[in-house]
Amino acid sequence: MAALRTYTSRLLASTLRHASRPAIATRNYATVEPISATAEAMSATQPPVPPKKTSTIEESGQSPEARTKTFHIYRWSPDTPSEKPKMQSYTLDLNKTGPMMLDALIRIKNEVDPTLTFRRSCREGICGSCAMNIDGVNTLACLCRNPTDTSHEARIYPLPHTYVVKDLVPDLTQFYKQYKSIKPYLQRETKSEDGLENRQSPADRKKLDGLYECILCACCSTSCPSYWWNSEEYLGPAVLLQSYRWLADSRDEHKAERKAMLDNSMSLYRCHTILNCSRTCPKGLNPGKAIAEIKKTMAFT
Amino acid sequence: MASLIRPTLLRKQCLTVAARRAFTKQAMPKSMASNIYSQSTVTQSSPFGLSTLRIIQPTALRVAGFHASSRRLILPAGPQVIDGTANDPAPVPEPSPTHGSYHWAFERLISAALIPLTIAPFAAGTLNPITDAILCATILIHSHIGFQALIIDYLPNKRVPKTRALFWWGLRAATLTVGLGLYEFETNDVGLTEAVKRIWTA
Repeated sequence: MAALRTYTSRLLASTLRHASRPAIATRNYATVEPISATAEAMSATQPPVPPKKTSTIEESGQSPEARTKTFHIYRWSPDTPSEKPKMQSYTLDLNKTGPMMLDALIRIKNEVDPTLTFRRSCREGICGSCAMNIDGVNTLACLCRNPTDTSHEARIYPLPHTYVVKDLVPDLTQFYKQYKSIKPYLQRETKSEDGLENRQSPADRKKLDGLYECILCACCSTSCPSYWWNSEEYLGPAVLLQSYRWLADSRDEHKAERKAMLDNSMSLYRCHTILNCSRTCPKGLNPGKAIAEIKKTMAFT
Repeated sequence: MASLIRPTLLRKQCLTVAARRAFTKQAMPKSMASNIYSQSTVTQSSPFGLSTLRIIQPTALRVAGFHASSRRLILPAGPQVIDGTANDPAPVPEPSPTHGSYHWAFERLISAALIPLTIAPFAAGTLNPITDAILCATILIHSHIGFQALIIDYLPNKRVPKTRALFWWGLRAATLTVGLGLYEFETNDVGLTEAVKRIWTA
């Protein structure tokens, strides 16, 4: 017992010595501050005001058998730039709401708070507009089922590590610029034999399955830590998947140039096979595999 | 008391304390405050019981403050910068296979080579200075490449060029030192394989 006591007191003394160090020496790594650790794990530079400190906007005209569910949604408006981003809470009756998260968002915008801003278009996972971070996972709101369990509170954020335009709308300028830089179109000089179409065998066409379906929603790129740290230079999983889509195309004749564009330390090789991309893809594609295929073709030719 | 030894318990305890403090928004009780600032009270607390618990909580909070507070951020996000207009493609860097595909292949080759090199001397049961030398060199190159990747990932040249240069040269110095150390160890002492053999008694 005595030995234990001396050990612990020494431990306490050492921790106290550490605690009295200047604030500059105390630094934060992958964790967040204890209070908001469970609540707001979003941005370290601009942590939003947690939902406990903001109001809850209730849906009007509640029926007695209503299944009321709470949604915490990230709000920030460029019109009031001095105000901190906050987590606004809304309640909805699930009996009157469609099955998907996007239905809930649209209902909030239509019936509760018209100032809520988000992108949406096709509502069936084809346009890629409604990509956002729902309950900690990057996904398309239109393909994300809203759990009917009313004790579950949904948390909706914009895509992580993006510059926010407003509320749930991220700025994807850099993403699109990078997509443009890989020349995502067929490049060839020679005409086909009959001068009409560039034909392809069914086997060659099959190589493009799992690549052409990508809708560039940016869910994978914004889930990639490597892309978070180096989005200026690293292309990110979505753009690399597209790059491979053209490398794998039997009709394309500029493969050497495409490879040369990726042959530097930053564009492709910042991928460390973390595979968040493959895990999060709302279309069920595998960008991680596509990147591995690019690395393979570049290494052994 | 176990909380200070087991980090998961510590974090849990800190969370509850922090949450209680945040929600009550009361000033810290005087007894607690005095315990934090006078080290003597902490070390004198001999009975392991409720009284100790009361002391640990603020201490734990401060330990958490050391481990997990966000006082100063590492590389906070800067303002958004867009090269050219939104319609220009992002700049494509010059191809340099030595930093790209050749580098990747070399990296994989070294990693793969380490497996047989580590097993071979033990499997063969012989001590050969040449296999030892090859193993040392491979480990050295492997770790050098690994640390280089760390620096490239976390210290972008555009944002922190001086820090990056410092770490870059620091890594080179460290690799050189380790190389020299291994050489000394191989020539004047028993060598890497033999050392592992002696330590490894399992």
